[in-house]
Amino acid sequence: MGKTLLDVSDLNIEFHDHQAPERVVRDFDLLMEEGEIVGLVGESGSGKSMSAMAIAGLLNRHEIEKTGKILFDGTDLLHCSREKLRSYQGSDISIVFQEPMTSLDPVQKIGRQVEESLKIHHPDLSEQERQNRMLKSLSDAGLPDPAGVAREYPFELSGGMRQRVMIAAAMIDDPRLLIADEPTTALDVLIQEQIIELLRRINRERGTAVLFISHDLSLVNRLCSRVLVMHHGKVIETGRSSEVFQNPNRDYTKKLIASIPRVNLQRPRDNDRDVHPEVSPAPTGKNALSVKDLSVFYTSRGKGFFGRTQKTEVVHHVSLDVGEGEILALVGASGSGKSTLARAVAGLNPLHTGTIELPDGRPQMVFQDPYNSLNPAYTIRWLLEEPLRLAGVNDEKERKKRVDEMMELVHLDKTLGDRYPSQLSGGQRQRVCIGSALMQKPKLLIADEPVSALDVTIQVEILSLLKRLQRELGLAVLFISHDLRTVWQLCDRVAIMKDGLIVDQGDVDEIYLHSQSEYTKQLLQAACIVRREEQ
Amino acid sequence: MRFVLKKILTLAVTVLAISFIVFLAFSVIPGDPALMLLGGESDPAKVEALRQKMGLNDPVIVQYERWLAAFLRGDMGTSYKYSMPVTRLLADKVPITLALSAEAFLLMVVLSIPLGIYSAKHEGSAADRFLVVCNQVVMAIPPFFSGILITYLFGMLLHLFTPGGYVSFREDLGAFFAYLFFPALAIAIPKIAMAVKLLRSSVLTESKKDYVRTAYSRGNSTNSVLYGHVLKNALLPAVTFFGMAIADMIAGSIIIEQVFGIPGLGKTLLTSIGNRDYPVIEAIIVLIAVIVVASNVLVDILYQVLDPRIEID
Repeated sequence: MGKTLLDVSDLNIEFHDHQAPERVVRDFDLLMEEGEIVGLVGESGSGKSMSAMAIAGLLNRHEIEKTGKILFDGTDLLHCSREKLRSYQGSDISIVFQEPMTSLDPVQKIGRQVEESLKIHHPDLSEQERQNRMLKSLSDAGLPDPAGVAREYPFELSGGMRQRVMIAAAMIDDPRLLIADEPTTALDVLIQEQIIELLRRINRERGTAVLFISHDLSLVNRLCSRVLVMHHGKVIETGRSSEVFQNPNRDYTKKLIASIPRVNLQRPRDNDRDVHPEVSPAPTGKNALSVKDLSVFYTSRGKGFFGRTQKTEVVHHVSLDVGEGEILALVGASGSGKSTLARAVAGLNPLHTGTIELPDGRPQMVFQDPYNSLNPAYTIRWLLEEPLRLAGVNDEKERKKRVDEMMELVHLDKTLGDRYPSQLSGGQRQRVCIGSALMQKPKLLIADEPVSALDVTIQVEILSLLKRLQRELGLAVLFISHDLRTVWQLCDRVAIMKDGLIVDQGDVDEIYLHSQSEYTKQLLQAACIVRREEQ
Repeated sequence: MRFVLKKILTLAVTVLAISFIVFLAFSVIPGDPALMLLGGESDPAKVEALRQKMGLNDPVIVQYERWLAAFLRGDMGTSYKYSMPVTRLLADKVPITLALSAEAFLLMVVLSIPLGIYSAKHEGSAADRFLVVCNQVVMAIPPFFSGILITYLFGMLLHLFTPGGYVSFREDLGAFFAYLFFPALAIAIPKIAMAVKLLRSSVLTESKKDYVRTAYSRGNSTNSVLYGHVLKNALLPAVTFFGMAIADMIAGSIIIEQVFGIPGLGKTLLTSIGNRDYPVIEAIIVLIAVIVVASNVLVDILYQVLDPRIEID
């Protein structure tokens, strides 16, 4: 047994914002040793982030009542003075957040933000010394050209680079505990893998203890030695991660594990498709979408006095077909051009060359973020009716009937019709989005990362819904994703994009089992999908 | 640098367009300047001769070219009423109005920023609630009315200044600015209320953003988070507002100059409109347009300095 670093006992967190107090964390206990990596797992609203915020001393609003003990190295952080708490923050305890895009101050240079902790905790350091440590921290976090990055502003960096900057800032004063709150959720698979590797290296080389918060059990299993599973504000299961993963005791943990999309290339694909084992409809031989030699451009204002607009080619001479009733996955990292391609197909970007044939009429789109893609000022029924009104269906009874049918089709309870989007859960909202896309009975649906923003158990439901719609309506889907595990579960064929080109294309089984494309292999590896010859 | 040049070019084009519209407007307004110059004498031959001499029979575009060329040389024409060059007539007025507007602007910036921050920092406190109510009330008071109230309160009751006791800047610069203080306050008050309200909500919005949480996690105190991170972000919308307020303040000064008896551009403008002294009116409108557009260019440049996300090209 190593030395105890953190000892949290009987932590309760209650919000008093509204009339009735809401308890978000109940009797939370956690014991961490120096240099240990512990995982904290749960779905959104389980209280995992709240517990982490409390440990980091970031729940200071008067409306939040906290009881219990948070002993860090023997000091109770919950009951010490603000000054005492601040002397630990950024120095002994650091935290990295989920959203690298918004967690940095947008109007301050990277260098200043990274060295801020040093400035606060070691005001006696010379300018030069501070600068050196800042540059070293940036380079330790795996950023090439630290001096260049230090002079830039957050908006000039990619998501992965910003997360490295966050880690560099967190690690600059050699903390003994690093809290990582879903640090990879907003990132691409390949980048995700690099960030996990970076955390592992920090732990190994510097002995920093890491509290890793995630909704992804398989990620936690790979990184952490111990794991705590949270549900409705309570820790319901705890133990060594390998044991919890293989022999879960609680039903909820079992359900969580079952929801992880499994990919086992050693057996037929339907074994992994426990949620929707139905076969796809037989190909009709006709295409719902046929793209030939498509290049898509974006315009940007050029430099210079009269700044002529310039066209940038984002997608280069791409050809692909989606058969009637087929689900084609379009996979790639962010910036690969997959969403640009989809927008062009949906008619949202007129700047393209080549041909897009849509024999069955215009496709409809479903977007990644069900929170922001519904107008919050209207009821669900109104939102579902809107496509009908636009299509000129003026008979109110007819509209009502068709909305009722649609709500039944996408499994939305009828009572939800009079509610507003803010009163619905993420999964329900995505059902509304899908329903409203289907109101005009398109033959092709373009789904742009429709499940990435959802919890795993909800993901399974939405994927099953899409599969059922494919079977019942003969719907073709262009499914855009960066998650190869989801694609394995849902799709018939897959096209892999990189830098605006399709680098690999074929049947899902064929590509996963036998593709020789280096990039495909890299992606499969990052998703922990192992082929037999590589085992 | 490119950005600045581009802005200045836009400025020139805007002012040119405004000057043309103003010129055009005055050439279609009923009322014959020649007739007016002759002071009601109605011998048609004399009027016609003067029209010819003044070039009033030329096409509008030719008249405009002539006027613009003269304007650029610094010749703004001759006042119909006073028969003296407009340039000389206005030379003494421009600095007065500029000083008044500048003082009002400074008052707005200096008072609204601390009040806005204070109000946001102590959100929900008695002082904050008092400020919020005050803002609502003050915002609804037009400057000429607050001018009257100020004259009564500070001038007649408290004797902090002598109403109507304007001192020329040529005589005593200190006394000049001191006299302008209360008129400037009258112009600034509704703007201060709006700016405080804007800053308060802007600071509160920024305080809920993710980067603020990050700043706290590094061990910053509330004040260093506020002044080191939140303030610069929260000031961005305020800077836009300040820029728009400049135009309103110059417009406000026209009326306030009447209330406080200040012989600035505004007072001259009103007299000239009464006299149908077109060359003077034209010159004043174009001057005000230049000031407003130029101040907006300054704000754009300042905005870019504050916010690196605005593209520099």
